[in-house]
Amino acid sequence: MIDIDSYAYSNNLKTVHPAEKLLFAMMTMVVCLTAPTVITPLIVLALMAGGIVIKAGIPARVFVKLMLVPLSFLLIGVLTIAFSVSTNPLGFWLAQTMYGLTVGIRYPDLNTAVHLFLRSLGAVSCLYFLALTTPMTELISVLNKLKVPVIITELMVLIYRFIFVFMETATTIRRAQLSRSGYVSMKSSYRSLSRLFSALLGKVFVKSQELYNSMAARCYTGEIKVLTKKRPVSFRNYLIITGFEIPLILVNLLWR
Amino acid sequence: MSELILEAVDLEYSYPDGTKALRKVNLQVQKGEKLAILGSNGAGKSTLFMQFNGIYRPNSGSIKYQGQDISYKNKALIELRKKVGIVFQDPDSQLFSASVYQDVSFGPLNLELSEEEVIKRVKQALTDTETTDLEDKPTHLLSYGQKKRVSIAGVLAMEPEIIIFDEPTAGLDPRHSLEFMQLLEKLSIEGKTIILSTHDVDLAYSWSDRMAIMYSGEIIAHGAPGKLFMCPENVERADLTLPWLIEMHNELVQKGWLPPSTPLPKTREDLFRSVPEKNHQPTPDIYHRHAR
Repeated sequence: MIDIDSYAYSNNLKTVHPAEKLLFAMMTMVVCLTAPTVITPLIVLALMAGGIVIKAGIPARVFVKLMLVPLSFLLIGVLTIAFSVSTNPLGFWLAQTMYGLTVGIRYPDLNTAVHLFLRSLGAVSCLYFLALTTPMTELISVLNKLKVPVIITELMVLIYRFIFVFMETATTIRRAQLSRSGYVSMKSSYRSLSRLFSALLGKVFVKSQELYNSMAARCYTGEIKVLTKKRPVSFRNYLIITGFEIPLILVNLLWR
Repeated sequence: MSELILEAVDLEYSYPDGTKALRKVNLQVQKGEKLAILGSNGAGKSTLFMQFNGIYRPNSGSIKYQGQDISYKNKALIELRKKVGIVFQDPDSQLFSASVYQDVSFGPLNLELSEEEVIKRVKQALTDTETTDLEDKPTHLLSYGQKKRVSIAGVLAMEPEIIIFDEPTAGLDPRHSLEFMQLLEKLSIEGKTIILSTHDVDLAYSWSDRMAIMYSGEIIAHGAPGKLFMCPENVERADLTLPWLIEMHNELVQKGWLPPSTPLPKTREDLFRSVPEKNHQPTPDIYHRHAR
């Protein structure tokens, strides 16, 4: 997760307007999820892989690793759809009958499973494209422009920032515990972990008070107003996005 | 000629858990001066600072800004905080945004300035703190010293009249400490009033026009730095030490290297200049022993 975050700030597409990247990722994702064939998800996967690895310059190793994260979870889900158990051995495409029970795959189920698998993977690659190329702070500013309620975007700002503050605090506490022989046995692990959590909870309250004080010191009145750096709006990019999306939609509509 | 700008009168404050943090604190801040508040950990420096811009409200006593008791009504507090800026000790609790640029723009935007003006001020503040090259970096990937400089930029961009720095050099390396002190000098020349808390006696002594020593919620002494450090009991009571410049000076006077009439050195250059050239006696190894 931290890796994704650091790439978001250092990839080759970071200066592209966040709205363009958001539009591209979201539209492609919708097209991918509504695809009736396996062709679209495969194209989307290739498109996003190219965007992430070639355009954004993120190492292919990182991309593959990230794609493997949902894979195990996806496989389990898809296998339960593909395989069925029945007392009736008819209609199976590939099956094994034992003690009157048939375990196997029905052809339509297999089809559904493969579709689902590729569609999910395609959609995930769209999200990765967005996450790997667009810093959270810029994404939030786009949401602001899209008139997402301020309370949500402000919470996002604070949560995002404090994930890192608390992670750092937790790491420090854990390190201190490890250096004093915490986590050496099962029993001590439980105890150390519970202490870590309670220490962290205490810090949450102190930090939130400190944050409020320091914001009040800078004339905070209940609304977080900040300036966002302007990124150039590129018509070329919009054209490229349209150029990608229209053929994909056509594939969806015509290829049945 | 000096004009009183900020004043604490008989200030008393206890935390909700009953800890007495300030006891009858009286302190006057002159316009344009460099005031150092010296005290060990837990002496009440940070608590006093939070009184100065109305974040904490005293149990008794008052804070006066330009001779008037400050009001704790929302509007008045905001007016006060435009004039009195605080750079907090822990940059992690001051930086709320993950974007350096956004965080620095937060203060000036709250002043209801035009966007162009805010952009200009943010740019200037980033230049002054040498953080321009960090503006696109997320705050969580910065080092401690960088975060500290960004948090200073966030307050500078508001252009307050009085800037309060809580332990500004704690955690900065010598180079950035020195640069920070130069920034303070620049602000001071621009006419800003600067209050700084520290337990670095050398820094407080060399930098300040005036000093106050705090111990356990009280101001036990205040006055010109040279005069304060001439009373060792002040220093000892507050769990502090003498600045090396003064110790060295005293030693040199005592051993006859300097005439007792030599003025106290304010900087290391002052001290080195006053040490006479070698005649026939062997030079004691002072340069090496105290080289820092």
